[in-house]
Amino acid sequence: MKRLFLLALIVGLFALAASGQGLKIGATMENFSLPDTNGAVQTLDSLKGEKGALIVFLSAQCPVVKGYHDRINEIAAAYKSKGINFIGINSNATEDLAWVKSNIAEYGYQFPVLIDKNNVFADKLNAQSTPEVFYVDASRKLVYHGAIDNDRGGDNVTQPYLKTAFEESLSGKAVSQPNTHAIGCTIKRANQ
Amino acid sequence: MRRFFASTFVFLFVTLLVAGVSAQGAKKGAVRPKAAISIGPKVTQIDLEGLRGLLKPKGKPLVINFWATWCDPCREEFPQLVKLDAAYKGKIDFATVSFDDLVDIRTTVPKFLRQMKAQMPAYLLITPDENAAIELISKDWEGNLPLTMIFNADGSVAYMHKGAIAYSAVTAEVDKLLAQPSAGK
Repeated sequence: MKRLFLLALIVGLFALAASGQGLKIGATMENFSLPDTNGAVQTLDSLKGEKGALIVFLSAQCPVVKGYHDRINEIAAAYKSKGINFIGINSNATEDLAWVKSNIAEYGYQFPVLIDKNNVFADKLNAQSTPEVFYVDASRKLVYHGAIDNDRGGDNVTQPYLKTAFEESLSGKAVSQPNTHAIGCTIKRANQ
Repeated sequence: MRRFFASTFVFLFVTLLVAGVSAQGAKKGAVRPKAAISIGPKVTQIDLEGLRGLLKPKGKPLVINFWATWCDPCREEFPQLVKLDAAYKGKIDFATVSFDDLVDIRTTVPKFLRQMKAQMPAYLLITPDENAAIELISKDWEGNLPLTMIFNADGSVAYMHKGAIAYSAVTAEVDKLLAQPSAGK
């Protein structure tokens, strides 16, 4: 019994450590289910395009997301026709459904935004900030994680990280810079 | 006649004296708007190399807070940081690094620091490669603000907190470091 308990403890600790690390490049994302803003449950498989999906963590109150929303819409429109569908995720405990809905209308998102109550999905991916993106290919394999580009303001973009990842992946190449970081807002978790 | 000249001379002298004083006053007045432009503590612009130097402790435990004026939790936690700085003055080195835009270096950032009565050295990081800056700060940081880090005197990371700090958690870490025999030497 003691051994069994110890084994369970070790497995639990490993699971905890793994969950803290999030999803690594090359790992397969699970076919998650989350409700959209109308309460209808959506899955990754039902929303992803022929060439995959771009999961973007959003926020209604984050000024960085505000600065990016035009670029997000522009990239979403450009790559939807190439088979990559955008899926927005709102994991912020500080933003209620009404606020999220009005923000979607204000920013003009043309893709579904799913509600991640109690940040369960953000915890699984170890998503920390907004806007933070995860690009999975058609087989749900993570090929890019991080920032949209290297300029919050949008006037001096010299490294369009996400577009580059899309183009490389769509042309069958390995993504040259699969992990990037950018200054953003902390996801306001329910347990903080 | 002599009296007339004498009184005229005195009158002119006094008039010139008064005019001189008021001119000086006007000069002083002209300086005032300049003083009004300085709306808070000095904020020093740094680049990637400056950041690299800042991350190296100089014999004492080092606390660095990364923040921006547009970040709600950053602003909310700032009074705790000011309190921390006052409580440990002389025992630790403490600096703040803002990720605001360069245009804010003489306006929004010092204005906020003045409101907070912040005395710790304040820096504003400007780099075309924030990805490199974030990786330099920590491999375990995605870039979400605020971030508070405590470095041992030898430069190793003793504590790192993403999001707004809990004052007692940070002081516990600082106290732990200061209790070490090598702290502050």
